[in-house]
Amino acid sequence: MSERILGYSDRLSAVPGDAVSFKISAPLPGKFKARLVRLICGDDSPEGPGFKSKNIDSEIDGTYPARHQPILAGSYVWVTARQPFDLPNFTVQAMVWPTLPGNGKPQCILGNYDAATGSGYALYINEQGCLAFRAGKNPPVSTGVKMLARHWYEVYAIYDSGTGRVVVGQNMMLAYHGMQQSISETQMLAEPVGEGGRFLIAAWNDDKLATAHFNGKIDSPRVSGRALKPAEIERLRDLPLDVELAQYVVAAWDFSRGMSTVKVTDVSGNRYHGRSINLPTRAMTGWNWDSSDFSWQSKPEQYGAIHFHDDDLYDCGWRTDFTLTVPTDLKSGVYCVHVWQKTPTGKIEDYIPFFVRPARGTATAPLALLIPTASYLAYANQQMVSSWWFDELSSCKFATMSSVDQYLEEHEGFGLSVYDEHSDGSGVCYSSHLRPILNMRPKTDLWQFNADTHLTDWLEKKKIPYDVITDDDLHAEGVDVLRPYRCVMTGTHPEYYSKAMLDALQAYTNGGGRLMYMGANGFYWRIAYHAGLPGVIEHRRAEDGMRAWFSEAGEYFMSFTGEMSGLWVRNGRPPNMLVGNAFAAQGFVNSVPYHRTPESQDPRVSFMFDGIGLDEVIGDFGTVGGGAAGWEIDRADTRLGTPPHALIVAAATDFPDSYHWVNEEMNHTHSAVNGDTNPRVRCDMMFFETPNGGAVFSTGSISYGGSLAHDGYKNNVSRLTENVVKRFVDPTPF
Amino acid sequence: MIKIDPQSAESTALASQFKAAPFGPYSADLQKLLQLLRWGFVRGRTIIICTKPYREWRLGRMAPKRGLPVEVSETEVFTDYGAAVWACFRARWQEVVGQPCPVK
Repeated sequence: MSERILGYSDRLSAVPGDAVSFKISAPLPGKFKARLVRLICGDDSPEGPGFKSKNIDSEIDGTYPARHQPILAGSYVWVTARQPFDLPNFTVQAMVWPTLPGNGKPQCILGNYDAATGSGYALYINEQGCLAFRAGKNPPVSTGVKMLARHWYEVYAIYDSGTGRVVVGQNMMLAYHGMQQSISETQMLAEPVGEGGRFLIAAWNDDKLATAHFNGKIDSPRVSGRALKPAEIERLRDLPLDVELAQYVVAAWDFSRGMSTVKVTDVSGNRYHGRSINLPTRAMTGWNWDSSDFSWQSKPEQYGAIHFHDDDLYDCGWRTDFTLTVPTDLKSGVYCVHVWQKTPTGKIEDYIPFFVRPARGTATAPLALLIPTASYLAYANQQMVSSWWFDELSSCKFATMSSVDQYLEEHEGFGLSVYDEHSDGSGVCYSSHLRPILNMRPKTDLWQFNADTHLTDWLEKKKIPYDVITDDDLHAEGVDVLRPYRCVMTGTHPEYYSKAMLDALQAYTNGGGRLMYMGANGFYWRIAYHAGLPGVIEHRRAEDGMRAWFSEAGEYFMSFTGEMSGLWVRNGRPPNMLVGNAFAAQGFVNSVPYHRTPESQDPRVSFMFDGIGLDEVIGDFGTVGGGAAGWEIDRADTRLGTPPHALIVAAATDFPDSYHWVNEEMNHTHSAVNGDTNPRVRCDMMFFETPNGGAVFSTGSISYGGSLAHDGYKNNVSRLTENVVKRFVDPTPF
Repeated sequence: MIKIDPQSAESTALASQFKAAPFGPYSADLQKLLQLLRWGFVRGRTIIICTKPYREWRLGRMAPKRGLPVEVSETEVFTDYGAAVWACFRARWQEVVGQPCPVK
């Protein structure tokens, strides 16, 4: 697999005057070139509209020195004080829940060990999965007993420089018959411990890098400046610290404090605080969680664990190669920085997307295209082909890897999506855009970003003026970012929504705005943005819905905000309330056409069907499955909140067995769950009026956008959509 | 649980049905056979690799874990996706049933 030129920007959405910094890693020696393009269509498939972009002369055009920039994945805590941990006698202890013991790599729990100099100390799990301790150049000391994955242990190492002895031990918190609950190993250390490096939790140093990443939860880590007795270890488990032993404690970190931050708080009184790197997962049940509460805000003392992963990634931290200040006259739209390097046979290239809004508070068109950046992040660098044991059973196809899939499979460290499990099998909760996102690109699969370029392509072809705004803006600025527009158009798959985003869109339609929902499976999952850190979302899969992984019990509430996550319908806000329909089924073998319903003859929607006959089959064509209704589909249901006056104007019902009903509607398993025998597997196109002269149009289909360009854009899907846009940007109230 | 009986005329007929229409529609029995071939993680099993977008596919296999090269066939190249799908079906049949698929 050949190397790639890769990059990312420090922000996704920008207004004129904003500076957007681009960071590039170019694998070939010498130089790379860059230019700015406006992206019209990213679909380069033979049946599609074709890749279309427009060169924009800009300050970033030019040639730059090429350099490789590494990605350093793996989360840990870095304690900023160093000298206080250079101790002649010490005890280190923690509660641990290892998830990958014996993965062939050392996994550090805590210490200041530096592998580059062979100095300092660390309590860790060795390559065979046994608790171990190392100090200086001494041979490691191990219990020799492999730890059980996903079990809580109290672990410790006690070093007395006077006797030269170290005691390494563990107490298993769950007793099993026939297993020794407490074991320890005592050895003499001949060599000095040495100074070590930074004090880290869940990793150790290798000069300036962090390595030996821990997989699993760590709770209640403590460092004492005295060789305690093994019996004294458990007296320091809880907080407040044991009154008698507290005087010896150098640091005691309470991970339940600052849950929504990257700060790690030392409560010993010495204030040797730390910071988490690469966003290990917080708001995790601790060693003492007793299922009496599921909200970490109610019982923080039971949520004192952080779950570390060797593949966590928040910010690549690459150096900036160039910065674009968005020109004041740059039209709002989807843009890419195009970078490339020549090769003997052609070139390697990347297109790095970003989105330009008009100046805040202004609109330069009556229509806004709301780019679903939160959903792009949710899918960023997804590796479902390897993460999902049920992948082929769900898609009903043999797994087919694209070049993006293959590259991500072969190159670890790009971070994962919330569709994946970490290397230790735990669900991925956080996704950041501060890394190259290989599937948020033109010339990739027709899904999310690249599928949404069917909409920009159609709008440009039809010469319909539009502004571009994003989820990031909607979350930060609320309904104010929508109010300047008579009509807002969603992308093909606006799946992930924060409460602020949902409230804003609902306020917009309630206030007379017009919403065109050009997709399906929208407004489905609840997410949170971080109050302080840019560019990252959080999501927990909780306990229902078409979910990629199971949340552990007690871990449904998000660390960023304390809100419950999971489905919006389970949070009391079904999508039907906003857009008339909601996720009903999915299938990926073929798409099908819509047929008009009797309700489509209602005079309220005569504008929609101008030029479309009553018996016309709508959308039996398209590049996404060969039809306009498909992939993921939504259905109306007044029991789930569809407004009583909403009209189902067209419907698709002819779905095959490969379309599977959504599991959240299945309160109980039964046998009629696929498109061939389940009447709830259907796609409903909706229209309804909202207060103050507004209205909503919903296609209920992800495939819909792929039908717009058929036959030179002269087709009934394009006609219907154009009819809606014309009416929706007309200010005459509904 | 049902099993694929490699000697039976029914299994041969189902394989032929798939070969004739690899993208369906599938009979109920063929759906069940495909479920048996597709259960579980695909790591270590034959899958399809798209080696040139829209134009070329080969059979391949992921390595035992992430971070290692994907094994891609050097011998058989498909310029039709349906042909690649049929070849993958036969390879899976061999892996799951333990014998070659009776339909070539």
